[in-house]
Amino acid sequence: MKEMLNSRRTLLLALVVLLLVGGQLVVPGFTNASQFANQLKIATFLGLFGISQTLVMMAGGQGLDLSVGAAATLGGMVGAALIDQGSAGLLLAFGAAALCGAVIGAINGVGITLFKVPPLVMTLAMGSLVDGALIVWSSVMHVNTAASPTLVALAGGGVAGVPTIAAFWLAAASLVWWFVDHSAWGRRLMATGANPTAARLTGGRVRHVRIAVYVASATIASLVGVLLVGYVGQAFLGLGTSYVLTSVVVAVIGGVSLAGGRGDYVAVAIAAIFLTVLTSLLTALQIGEAGRQCIFGATLLAFLAINGWSVKGRLSIG
Amino acid sequence: MKAHLAEALHPSRDPADPADPPARNRRPCLPASVSRAASALPGVLMLLIVIGLNAHLQPDFFSADSLSSNLQNAAPVILICMAQAVVVLAGELDLSVGAGISLVNCALAGLPVLTGWDTGATCLVALAAALAAGVCNGVLVGYLRQSALIATFATSAIWFGVALLLMPQPGGTVPEVLGDWFAMRVGPVPLAAVPVVAAVALWAVLQRHRFGRRLIATGSSTEAVFKSGIDTRRIKLLAYVLAWLFVFGAALCISAETASGDARLGLPYTLNSVAAVVIGGISLAGGRGSMIGAISGALVLVLIGNVVYFAGIPSNYQELFKGAVIVVALGFTFIGARRSA
Repeated sequence: MKEMLNSRRTLLLALVVLLLVGGQLVVPGFTNASQFANQLKIATFLGLFGISQTLVMMAGGQGLDLSVGAAATLGGMVGAALIDQGSAGLLLAFGAAALCGAVIGAINGVGITLFKVPPLVMTLAMGSLVDGALIVWSSVMHVNTAASPTLVALAGGGVAGVPTIAAFWLAAASLVWWFVDHSAWGRRLMATGANPTAARLTGGRVRHVRIAVYVASATIASLVGVLLVGYVGQAFLGLGTSYVLTSVVVAVIGGVSLAGGRGDYVAVAIAAIFLTVLTSLLTALQIGEAGRQCIFGATLLAFLAINGWSVKGRLSIG
Repeated sequence: MKAHLAEALHPSRDPADPADPPARNRRPCLPASVSRAASALPGVLMLLIVIGLNAHLQPDFFSADSLSSNLQNAAPVILICMAQAVVVLAGELDLSVGAGISLVNCALAGLPVLTGWDTGATCLVALAAALAAGVCNGVLVGYLRQSALIATFATSAIWFGVALLLMPQPGGTVPEVLGDWFAMRVGPVPLAAVPVVAAVALWAVLQRHRFGRRLIATGSSTEAVFKSGIDTRRIKLLAYVLAWLFVFGAALCISAETASGDARLGLPYTLNSVAAVVIGGISLAGGRGSMIGAISGALVLVLIGNVVYFAGIPSNYQELFKGAVIVVALGFTFIGARRSA
């Protein structure tokens, strides 16, 4: 019980409830069903990109993936180019996007583990290279960028007021939760992040784990990029750019340690909902972008402080 | 006297003692200044290549007009890259320098309208704001030991928010004195060079004195420096403050060039400054690299744009070129790391 009260999940959940109740009191209609579904969709994308960042950060070694934006844009544009009306085209689009993502992730992983490039620089350079190539590609080749109706229905539709993609997210989140908390692979991942030397000495293959994590990260980002095309309705340059740093922020607020080895995806998922509700409440209160940016920065600093305290053991909100 | 004492305490440390490990396996130790300069070599090499391409594509590249206009373009980029380099050499990172440019720019353009202050007061307040932002970052990273990456990203949102508060819409005018001064030339030398030269001179002096040494030492091993009795927290704080002095200089140049205020103006500079530092061979782990490298990296980024423009390559290739240059620089760094390992 005590652990429940102290956990990061509970803290974030309480904050979400507080924001929703407060929002309903100040702005009537803040929590109606359509508004709710809308926010859930926005939170879904944030949360899905958060999976990438959570996995990479957990693997340690100052892990970070700043190429998720470029991977998502690439996945989205390749997906849109291959898509046609039928559902076979959809599978092809997702498959091709996943392949593109896997290639980006593999290059990232090899650069970071074998060539020892810092993850920040490696993924930044990779992102800038992919973005640059996409600018050239989109100006030379004129391919389809519109989302097919099937994809739009998939990413934008809903059943009984619950968006379909939110169901996807729930499935993905459960999978990640099971993977991290309850599978041998997840244990290996945590061990690698917490103490690479110990992991290596106990038979863990640190490099393999880290490469796998970057591949997974970019693959997920590319797949989410295709979904994003369905949600926005069109693939365009810079599709995923806004998610690069926000995905890191969500992971940090969710309590994933940049040093690696600690993290809980359920908390990250709640953090994604928290950030979305916070943003939409500030918008509903008609606080301008200036105020939103300041509050966003202050929130992040506050959570950094909580992370720091929980590491030092002075406060157990971890 | 000391030698005698050491011998008395450790008699086996005689150089002629066969138990002492043979010296021939050790690499000759280069003076720090030489190895520092060597780390900048790939960056300088790339700069020479880019200058060569520029001179080839643009026959009057070395004319006074062309050089001074290039210098005007490059001045803010050089300054912002020097700012990033100072922080990176101290073993940290600052993702808020771009938002800092916006902050100073909007303060310069917005404060005279909002408060009716004259140019001198506006500039002083803008400088104070920049230094306060530097102190804030330095306290967060140095004293509160937050991760520089996330903490400066968070403060970046705040600086950007304050800039938007000052100037919700792009527009306004920066005090005209700045623009006039920036465009002025004394003989062939544009006055835009003044802040750059001042920053380089300041760094050259600091680097030879205690503070610069300690800054680089802190970057290479905070723990060792801390244990030898130096307050590394203060060094990191001062590194951020120095960096933000350069940020202020960069913002002054950009404001003089654009002559108006825009809260989004500075944002692209953040990642460019990191890229320049990488191209210049400064280790992101801290403590290794030289300012020459950072300046070369900044010039490479500026002149690459020229190459793309004058070679008639569509401007949409520019991003790809920049990415490729960074990757090549990473390759060089890797080769360098292998050789010294």
